[in-house]
Amino acid sequence: MELLSDTLWDVVICGTGLQQSLLALALSRSGKKILHIDPNAFYGGGEAAFSLQDAESWVTRVSMGSGGLFASPSITKHEGVVGLSSSRAYSLALAPQLIHARSALLSQLVSSRAYRQVEFLAAGPSYIFKPSQDSQQPTLVRIPSTREEVFSTTDVSSKAKRLLMKFLKFVLEYEASPQLETWQPHADAPLTGFLQQEFNMDAELQTYIVTLTLSLDGNIRTKDGLAVIRRHLSSMGVYGPGFAAIYPKWGGLSEITQISCRAGAVGGAVYMLGTGIKETEIVDNEVKVQLTSGDTVKARMLVRASESVTRQTGISKLVAVISSPLSSMFQPIVEGAPRPAVAVIAFPAGSLFTAAGTGPGCPVYLSAHSSDTGECPVGQSVLYLTTLSTPDAKAILGRALESFIQATSQGEACQVLYQLQYEQRAGPDGFEVDGPVFTLGAPSPSLSFDDSTLSPVREAWKQVMGQAAVYPEYMVFDDREVVLDDDEAYDRW
Amino acid sequence: MADQGGSQHGIARTSRVRTDEQKKRDLERIARYRELEDQVRARAAEGDYSPAVFQLTSRLLRLNPEYYTIWNVRRRCLISGSFSRLSAGSSCSTACSTSSRTATTAPSSTSCSSSSSATTPPAPGPPTAGKSGTTAEPTPAAADPPEATESEPSEAETRDLATLQAELVFTIPLLLESPKCYWIWSYRLWLLQQAIARLRAPLARTVWEEELGLATKMLGKDRRNFHAWGYRRHVVARLESPSLRGGSMVEAEFAYTDRMIMSDLSNFSAWHSRSRLIPRLLAERGADEAARRAFLDKELQQIREALNVGPEDQSLWYYHQFLILNLVYPNKHPAMTPGFTLQDRVAYLRREIEEIKELLEDYADIQLIYEGLFEYTLYLCQLEGKKPKASERTDLVAWLGKLKQLDPMRRGRWADLEREHDLTEGGSDV
Repeated sequence: MELLSDTLWDVVICGTGLQQSLLALALSRSGKKILHIDPNAFYGGGEAAFSLQDAESWVTRVSMGSGGLFASPSITKHEGVVGLSSSRAYSLALAPQLIHARSALLSQLVSSRAYRQVEFLAAGPSYIFKPSQDSQQPTLVRIPSTREEVFSTTDVSSKAKRLLMKFLKFVLEYEASPQLETWQPHADAPLTGFLQQEFNMDAELQTYIVTLTLSLDGNIRTKDGLAVIRRHLSSMGVYGPGFAAIYPKWGGLSEITQISCRAGAVGGAVYMLGTGIKETEIVDNEVKVQLTSGDTVKARMLVRASESVTRQTGISKLVAVISSPLSSMFQPIVEGAPRPAVAVIAFPAGSLFTAAGTGPGCPVYLSAHSSDTGECPVGQSVLYLTTLSTPDAKAILGRALESFIQATSQGEACQVLYQLQYEQRAGPDGFEVDGPVFTLGAPSPSLSFDDSTLSPVREAWKQVMGQAAVYPEYMVFDDREVVLDDDEAYDRW
Repeated sequence: MADQGGSQHGIARTSRVRTDEQKKRDLERIARYRELEDQVRARAAEGDYSPAVFQLTSRLLRLNPEYYTIWNVRRRCLISGSFSRLSAGSSCSTACSTSSRTATTAPSSTSCSSSSSATTPPAPGPPTAGKSGTTAEPTPAAADPPEATESEPSEAETRDLATLQAELVFTIPLLLESPKCYWIWSYRLWLLQQAIARLRAPLARTVWEEELGLATKMLGKDRRNFHAWGYRRHVVARLESPSLRGGSMVEAEFAYTDRMIMSDLSNFSAWHSRSRLIPRLLAERGADEAARRAFLDKELQQIREALNVGPEDQSLWYYHQFLILNLVYPNKHPAMTPGFTLQDRVAYLRREIEEIKELLEDYADIQLIYEGLFEYTLYLCQLEGKKPKASERTDLVAWLGKLKQLDPMRRGRWADLEREHDLTEGGSDV
């Protein structure tokens, strides 16, 4: 039997987070000698999905300091509350990101044929939370982003609707003249200012549009905002009427990591979980890696995730399981549309206040997942709340959860069965190369998958492949299995 | 190799470079196809419509659903085989004919309604042994469809229902592959007619209701397919007819157009269907004048909301125009404005014009808005029996100017309008 240390590996990949897993997928037909390790006992790294028990183990580990970017985790189970099912009935996602139809990730999953192993669900409508006024209940209002939605919303005046339509049309062509000349002077200024100046939009309308961008600080720049909204608009209807984004069943990006590593294994890569790196040494442009398993291996290249934390503001997260299926949130949006499994609710800055009276200067986003996602049993829902890290963040997230339940409960009692809270600090962008060591930055934490996460993967692939890299073939594979042939029709009776 | 382009029923023709291996495989396929085809045609020519031939048609049609002759062979197989025998004495005429016809969306065929002619009810005995001769006109001379005098469907009906359902299921994968192939749809329509002819009304009805479900699915996939809309209207008309013991489905169909419009405002067919349903809808609701006025108000408000977000969409303007015509030509369109006085009509029209003018605030360069304003202002003058006032004339000239600017290709038309209504600049008028 060949020992690990006998081989000169083409690449050792440490970690099975999204970027590392996609790299394994990209290399799965290359014939390269790949050793893919992960210090965790599970796949997925920072994008993993957990059963309740796995979540508890994770919280313990992170509390002990080996959580990478994650910090301050805690779990609150509500004692005496009947309804929490067995541990394996849940798959709580660390990266429950929506993937827009026009995202490059999807085209890569398609061209690499990996998409066949993922079940995608429709990610549905966006809502804005309107706090209670004059003793009225708080409500959730749909954010219109297509012509038909603008048509049917009763929340917006006729004049405002016309402004919205003009803006939506503008965005669809925003890279052409004369639109380009109109916004370029504002490119780095806040989008809200641009909306006010060029489209005469009031604060309420501005809020709608900024919420569509899912911007975490509510202060997105014009050029970024226009790009995100255009992607949303052009993604609308691509995979079916009424929705612009999709969501992988069974835990979001975690599922992508699973199938990518599987593809890597089928392609011959060696997988070792529960194995991390103790030490590395660069010798003659090769890297000697001492593993925690005791083995020392030699490789032409090492790909790993960065360990550093930057000073940028991180995010604060709350994952809550509630005892309601939230059926009204998950109705098909239009005739003939599939039932959405994910709905996004935004709490704009200023719509929430803690008991102390302090409010966040930045929005809170709540991504509601039905049991269709496989993340909880039927009759329950999983809520993923995100906001920028501030001293108040935890309290604000709790308030958002309460307000959401108030706005949607419609008289039925809805209990919070389980809560998982944690901080996710900011890591560096992009990647770093130091000879044979390739260090991946942190993937973008945005609520909708950011394609910028994909470029470092491609760079790593280029470096592994060296001269053999054929760029148009990146992530382009044929099916391994023979797909149903036309000939069947000729032979069948 | 130049791409020939074009398409057959929406399936693009592509030219592919074929390797030798592929060429060999293609030749094999062609040979097998020809063999199959020869078999079927030879046996049919001999009058052989046995189950074996039936199976052959299944294979051949899967390969080539456009081969209408083979569909006819299949029909004959069914009539001489799986279907139970019906006695002579037809009250159904061309509706059940199998002569090749395109799947018309509004067939002029008569429905196989129970006629009062004295025909003997069918004797559901076993089909005669052997094959039916080629002389048998494959018109399933339908007597009155069996009345539900017994509570249980007869054995023949149960069998026929099973056959029909199996046949409908057979066409589904073919439809998925070739959704616009007339022959498949024609076959389905023939099967549905058979259901009316051979089954008691409640049973036949279930078959037709499923068909409505299929039509809905088709429209779900392609909301603007006017063939599909026509097909839907045909199915609905049958479901409403006495032959299927139907009642009116106007309310449901009206609600359906609502849902279609909600999912895509720009849908000529949905708006058109809506306009066709309104007279019957109001009649069935027993709407009095007040109710009809309220109905018109609601429709106007809705279409104005639609125009507010989609002023460049012609389908919306067509519907708005339809509503305006109800105001201006009540003789032709009496449904919504009975009892309106001339003042009422003028007031309504004025209001519409004012509302549309508001659109110009934010949509300064949409041609259809100016065309609408122009046309409606002239209607207003027509209703009032007067020539345009000075202010109206100014407006008309300005709008015409905008039209000339926005659509210079049609300057001939604008010039005609100018002359016709005496709107040349500086023209004299009171």
